[in-house]
Amino acid sequence: MAKKVLVVDDELDVRTFISTLLETNGYRPIVAMDGKEGLEAARQEKPSLIILDIMMPKESGINMYRALMTDPELKEIPVIMLSALSKKTFFHSQKILDEYKGEKIPEPAAYIEKPPEPDELLDAIQNSLQ
Amino acid sequence: MEHKILLVDDEEGIRKVLGISLSDSGYQVLSAENGEEAFRIFIKAKPSIVLTDIKMPGMDGVELLRKIKKESPDTEVIMITGHGDMDLAIQSLKSDAADFITKPINDEALEVALKRVKEKIALKRQLKEYTEDLERLVEEKTARLIEAERLAAVGQTVAGLAHAIKNITGGLTGGAFVLEKGIELNNEKYLHQGWEMVRNNLKKIKELALDLLAYSKERAPDYRLCDPNEPAREVASLMRLRCEKEGVSLDLRLEEGLPHVWLDPEGIHRCLLNLVANAIDACTDLSCTPGEGKICLRSRRPEGWAVEYQVEDNGCGMDEDTLQKVFQEFFSTKGSQGTGLGLMITKKIIEGHGGVIEVQSRKAKGTRFVIRLPEKNGAS
Repeated sequence: MAKKVLVVDDELDVRTFISTLLETNGYRPIVAMDGKEGLEAARQEKPSLIILDIMMPKESGINMYRALMTDPELKEIPVIMLSALSKKTFFHSQKILDEYKGEKIPEPAAYIEKPPEPDELLDAIQNSLQ
Repeated sequence: MEHKILLVDDEEGIRKVLGISLSDSGYQVLSAENGEEAFRIFIKAKPSIVLTDIKMPGMDGVELLRKIKKESPDTEVIMITGHGDMDLAIQSLKSDAADFITKPINDEALEVALKRVKEKIALKRQLKEYTEDLERLVEEKTARLIEAERLAAVGQTVAGLAHAIKNITGGLTGGAFVLEKGIELNNEKYLHQGWEMVRNNLKKIKELALDLLAYSKERAPDYRLCDPNEPAREVASLMRLRCEKEGVSLDLRLEEGLPHVWLDPEGIHRCLLNLVANAIDACTDLSCTPGEGKICLRSRRPEGWAVEYQVEDNGCGMDEDTLQKVFQEFFSTKGSQGTGLGLMITKKIIEGHGGVIEVQSRKAKGTRFVIRLPEKNGAS
């Protein structure tokens, strides 16, 4: 059975693009429009992989990522962060949040800056699912 | 520096004696025997010092003093008084005479009075130079500040622009990928989706380019007297079709017979077009699912203003936070659909007219933009 991949992004273009990439490579995409919706979908569908945007209305990807990583049932799901935010900025924010909250959140399986190249993203997807 | 001095006395003897004495001291001396003649010479020769008798037939010294001071406040006037002219002497001091000396004229007293007057003139000249220097300095610094600010604005623009273009590139890359898959797999769904993505992003980049062009192009506003309803009518007819397509009603309520207003019709056209386009977007935003979209474009002539335009919609509306930011560049409520330039350009144009633009809005109720243009064009 095709592996389920959850795509969380507020932009329709990105969702369509990644869904097509997934579908044409034998995965089953599930889409969500923000962190809140994404977290519900993750709990319900238990996907094999999550592709997560950061800057979204309502609940941001940063919060959703931390919620995933601290949830015993979800923390094993690999996450690929996909954002217009630079990699450096994201890892810096993680470090600050770790210190502030006194917890150690593991790094995502991959971090890809927007706009993603299809091959680059596909490589990351395949690597994370091995 | 050699001072020109005008000596006024009806007694020829005094003119002669004083004239010689002043010439010897290095002054260039002009003389007149009455007030009328003195004023004529004064106008022509512009002496820096005037030495005048108070009591003269015809125009007396005090009247001459007042006329000179009115004409040239920086000219110093010394009064010559006889015994018993104290009242007149005080009167002349009140009219800003520099000093007075009494007859018979004592050379030493004259010398002291002249010295003081010359010092006063030198001081005033210096002060004037300082002031002018200071004004020039302020002007230079201001010019430099404006330049710095402009550069900062451009810097900001570049960052915002890079982001906007990156977004569109992402959309195009994705669209091309989906389209390719559609062709490859002969999949109708991918073909449609991919093509839609490409088309939308082409539209976005076109809009961005147009906005940027309008922003960067220093189009000299073409102010003229014209019917303020004209640009409003143009915009309404231009947007009518789009409104019908989107299922939004556009109500045009223009006050008839408005007097002509000094404005840049193309600029105002652009402002109203921006506002109406925003109103349509607000009425058709699916995320806030409003009822039937209604837009009203009004014109009227309120007290104290040449014309007022209102663009009102019953769409999404905005909260306080958003309202604070709507006129900033690259701020957009439309996510990747907007460039964040429209309202900024609108504000720039209205301020160019010396006018004001205001916005009132309530979340989920609607928004009203009001533009007012002044009676007399305050544009600089």
